[in-house]
Amino acid sequence: MVTIARRTVLKVIGQLSVFGAFLIQIGGAVRAFIPNVLYEPPKKFKVGKPEDYPEGVNFVPEHRLFTVRSANEFGIISAVCTHLGCTVRWESKVPEFECPCHGSHFRPDGTVISGPAPRPLAWFALSLSPDGYLVVDRSEQVASTYRFSPPAKEKA
Amino acid sequence: MKTRLLSLWRTLTWSWTPISEREAGEAVVRNFWIHWFPAKVADQSFSWSYSLWLGTISLVLFFILTVTGFLLMFFYVPSVERAYWSIKDLDFSVSFGWLLRNQHRWAAHLMVATVFLHMARVFFTCAYRGRRALNWQVGITLLLSTLLLSFTGYLLPWDQLALWAITVGTNIAKEAPLVGDWIYFLLLGGNVIGQETLIRFYVFHVFIIPGFVLLAVAYHMWRIRKDGGLAALDRLESSAEIKEKAPVPTKTYSLFGLAKGTSVQVKGVDKIGEENSLFATPHLLRRIMLVFLVTFTATLLLAIFFNAPLEEAANPSVTPNPAKAPWYFLWLQELVADTTLHLGKYTISGGLIGGILIPGLLLLLAALWPFLDRSSPQSLGVWFPPERRTQNWIFAVIVIAIILLMYIGVAMRGPNWKIYWPWQNWPQLPTLL
Repeated sequence: MVTIARRTVLKVIGQLSVFGAFLIQIGGAVRAFIPNVLYEPPKKFKVGKPEDYPEGVNFVPEHRLFTVRSANEFGIISAVCTHLGCTVRWESKVPEFECPCHGSHFRPDGTVISGPAPRPLAWFALSLSPDGYLVVDRSEQVASTYRFSPPAKEKA
Repeated sequence: MKTRLLSLWRTLTWSWTPISEREAGEAVVRNFWIHWFPAKVADQSFSWSYSLWLGTISLVLFFILTVTGFLLMFFYVPSVERAYWSIKDLDFSVSFGWLLRNQHRWAAHLMVATVFLHMARVFFTCAYRGRRALNWQVGITLLLSTLLLSFTGYLLPWDQLALWAITVGTNIAKEAPLVGDWIYFLLLGGNVIGQETLIRFYVFHVFIIPGFVLLAVAYHMWRIRKDGGLAALDRLESSAEIKEKAPVPTKTYSLFGLAKGTSVQVKGVDKIGEENSLFATPHLLRRIMLVFLVTFTATLLLAIFFNAPLEEAANPSVTPNPAKAPWYFLWLQELVADTTLHLGKYTISGGLIGGILIPGLLLLLAALWPFLDRSSPQSLGVWFPPERRTQNWIFAVIVIAIILLMYIGVAMRGPNWKIYWPWQNWPQLPTLL
């Protein structure tokens, strides 16, 4: 029979409750720094009408991506370097994407030619909104061969 | 009348000279501002050529940064919409706002340099051995804190430099194995750099890191005294020239009268001898004031003649070409650009190798160096002792490599981070994509 003094039991309970209270408070303070609501731009957004974009590669600054057009086929490639997140530039004369921060070079299909980038540039899925805009879905990555052909306009 | 004028002049100019050793000793203990000084300081500790006073200069710079920084807080607004324009106001519409900002920036740049040079001095004089190893490690955390203060500081203007530095910096943190994504989310306060990110780095810059530095510096100073002052004194103590003296129990300069025996510092002074030391007041005080004045004047002159740059307002769509970090981070930028490894089908990003592993290993190596070091006590507190030639070369080669990488970053990287010789012209590029 193990006997524990009442005083010891009360002392341990007292100490645990003090430290427990501190720990819970610290936990709460830390939790406050993990946001519950994010006021961030949506992952799915319109980038303009198909006819807004000429042939070839066009930069869309407000969304940091390029539209790639060939006749009626559209692709969307990310302008965010896969190395450390700078915006790559389209050098049409070479032609390739080049990063101004650490010198990564990418082929027009997004694969890495040289430099520190560990992965190819991402391609995103495209669709057409009912009112005739191209819609990019950043949450859906696709293969570099993916192209979207908007259906021909029906004349009313 | 004449004597009254004279005494008034003395009061105004504070030409206090202690009339006895007792008065000189007590003056330290009785004054709040200098009570943490030892009563007596060995001659050796005053040497310009031994310590170069780099630690004191760093502390003075930190003081200047604290004062100019808290003044800047009245004008700076940590909001992504207004931060950039509040800096523009400081530069162009607030009276002497430019001076405050310039002095803050120059003190910051100098502090990175002096803290590092202080570290180099301690290494080259072998002043980190034995019981001083802990203080050496405290010093390394202070170097790291200085760099973090600089980093969080140049983010605040929210110009192009700031935005792309925070982008690259947080993406490096993201490369950390396992916890990277989680740290990235916490640093940003979300998935996209924005207001949450700016306010987090702002609080780090104006409160958390300076608060830590203040505590760590206090501990750093306290440890110097507990470890027996500058390392140069150890050699004096152990050298045969100085004969062991019998302790003088009746005479103690200890801080608190109740302390039994003699304090550490007094023991040191006893061994070195009364004649080889000076009273802290006025000699140490005068020296510190001199170092303060020179440092302050240097930052002020730099601030008057060289403006702190401000790039265009942050634009998340377009990265400046080329985008360069400040000089003290350019070697890291060079490393992350050059160290991506391709092993078969696996790729390890330069962000992890050059941004986390290499600097992490360098810091770890520095922290553990006192335990790898096998120098004899004769080398303690001596510049470039012959037996430490190899060690000093290892340190020097690492530093030279870092400086070379910085030079490549500053002078040889052009648009799209291509290599150009310093005398080559960069091609003209269209500014927009």
